[in-house]
Amino acid sequence: MTGVAIRATDIAKQFGKVTALDHATFEVPRGIVFGFLGPNGAGKTTVIRTLLGLLRLDGGEGSVLGFDVATQSDSIRERTGALLEHDGLYKRLTAEQNLDFWGRVWRIPRAERRRRMETLLTRLGLWERRKDAVAEWSRGMKQKLAVARTLLHRPELVFLDEPTAGLDPVAAAALRDDLEHLASEEGVTVFLTTHNLAEAERLCARIGIINKGRVVALGTPAELRDAVGSASIIIRGPSITPAHVAMLRTRAGIVNLTLLEDGVQLVLAPNATVTPLVRALIEHGAEIEEVRRERPTLERTFLDLIADDGHAGAAT
Amino acid sequence: MITDTLTILRKEWLEFRDQLLRLRRGGISLIVIVLLLGVLTPLQFGPDWLSSWIVMFYFPTLASSMASALIVDAIAGERERQTLESLLASRLPDSAILFGKMLAALSYGSAFVAVNALVACLTLNIAHPDKAPLFFQARFGTLLAILTLAACLAQTGIGVFISLRSKTVRQAQQTFGIIMLVIFLAPALVFQLLPPERRFSIIATVRGWGMEQIALLAALVLGSIGISAAMFAWARFRRGKLALD
Repeated sequence: MTGVAIRATDIAKQFGKVTALDHATFEVPRGIVFGFLGPNGAGKTTVIRTLLGLLRLDGGEGSVLGFDVATQSDSIRERTGALLEHDGLYKRLTAEQNLDFWGRVWRIPRAERRRRMETLLTRLGLWERRKDAVAEWSRGMKQKLAVARTLLHRPELVFLDEPTAGLDPVAAAALRDDLEHLASEEGVTVFLTTHNLAEAERLCARIGIINKGRVVALGTPAELRDAVGSASIIIRGPSITPAHVAMLRTRAGIVNLTLLEDGVQLVLAPNATVTPLVRALIEHGAEIEEVRRERPTLERTFLDLIADDGHAGAAT
Repeated sequence: MITDTLTILRKEWLEFRDQLLRLRRGGISLIVIVLLLGVLTPLQFGPDWLSSWIVMFYFPTLASSMASALIVDAIAGERERQTLESLLASRLPDSAILFGKMLAALSYGSAFVAVNALVACLTLNIAHPDKAPLFFQARFGTLLAILTLAACLAQTGIGVFISLRSKTVRQAQQTFGIIMLVIFLAPALVFQLLPPERRFSIIATVRGWGMEQIALLAALVLGSIGISAAMFAWARFRRGKLALD
């Protein structure tokens, strides 16, 4: 599937004196997992609420699946699923009653509803507990059921606000696999917010980083790493001493240099190469065991971006 | 719209039923009410119970208090339990959510009274087999049903309006209690403030009325209060406002 699932242009939202969205602009292509990252209060949830038409925009334009968020939000909600901050489960009801209710909400025919419930509950390991009141369940089990609720009606687009929070590692991995499958095999667009950067790096085809209501970076995980963080070089050798470090500091092309227990870590300037530095170390009697290029992690990139932009958030 | 309204109604019934069944006190209190109003009181009054003005007061009061408990739980409780936003993020129209909840409260209150009325009839027929079959007269029963529905509608309308402004069930219940107190006390206070000759003339007029006229007037007043409150609530029940709250 091709095209744009979500388009936000200059969207703005103000809560009194607090600026929740400050002319945020981004696009999400159809059929991918899109990660939306940001510190607490950066505006992630506000973005989801405005895209679902739960909050009216104060400025800018947005469309979801081709429908305008200001005037066609009914059509948007008709085609999407959303797991927001809270799981949206009725704790007095059983898992089966919960899914049955949501199935009725989405007008899924009875037989199909039963099949779908069984498939989802079985896949998430909850089928045996379907007759239990949800109030008696652990947080992780509730979160799994909330995910099942969101996917029950096979939406074209799902908004998931930290879906793996509270899940055990096995369940979180299974859910990640499911989300990948949804996007790659069924063409569902997944709009995901998470604080787990490793998860975002592994799962998301594209990532947006939001801070203080502004989208400060947008791209594939690799593009973000390359755009923000420079690769560092690790040179390992037990005989590398502070004297060698002092010698390296006199050389051109080194932005940052750190002495490690068994070597040094360098950040090079653009266009600088490591070969002359390794040669100089050998000439000064250092024994080199390993030279390795280390790419910055998404976490490092994220922290750098947020630090550059000033950390304090604005809205929930 | 109708299917969506019924979906919400069904969910509210399930939730309220489960709440009562799971809480021993809740279940027991329902049984106690049925024993009191469906068995003991009819036994005490005998067959006259079926045409007594006390029934015309008891049953609408009972139904409306059940309806108010449900509507507060359905709206303020839904917000307190943090499930309202998920409901708003679904495809359901605002009107289906609101009317589904109102209908659930109305039907719950009315159904509970209907059960009580049936138990009362059964009790009287068993206790007085010589006078069987005993049942409400059609005119009296219709009036009772109208007044019961009007009382439920009034409590439901006010309940929606209050619940939309309350963050918790407790807060809604407290506000509800105060408003009910004002509604019941205000007419009495106003009456006391009237000049004596005016008061006497009102008393004389009311004495001239029969029970049917009084019940119809009460139904009219309660129904108007309910419809007005529901219309105010409907004007306020909008996704944008609720999500922001």
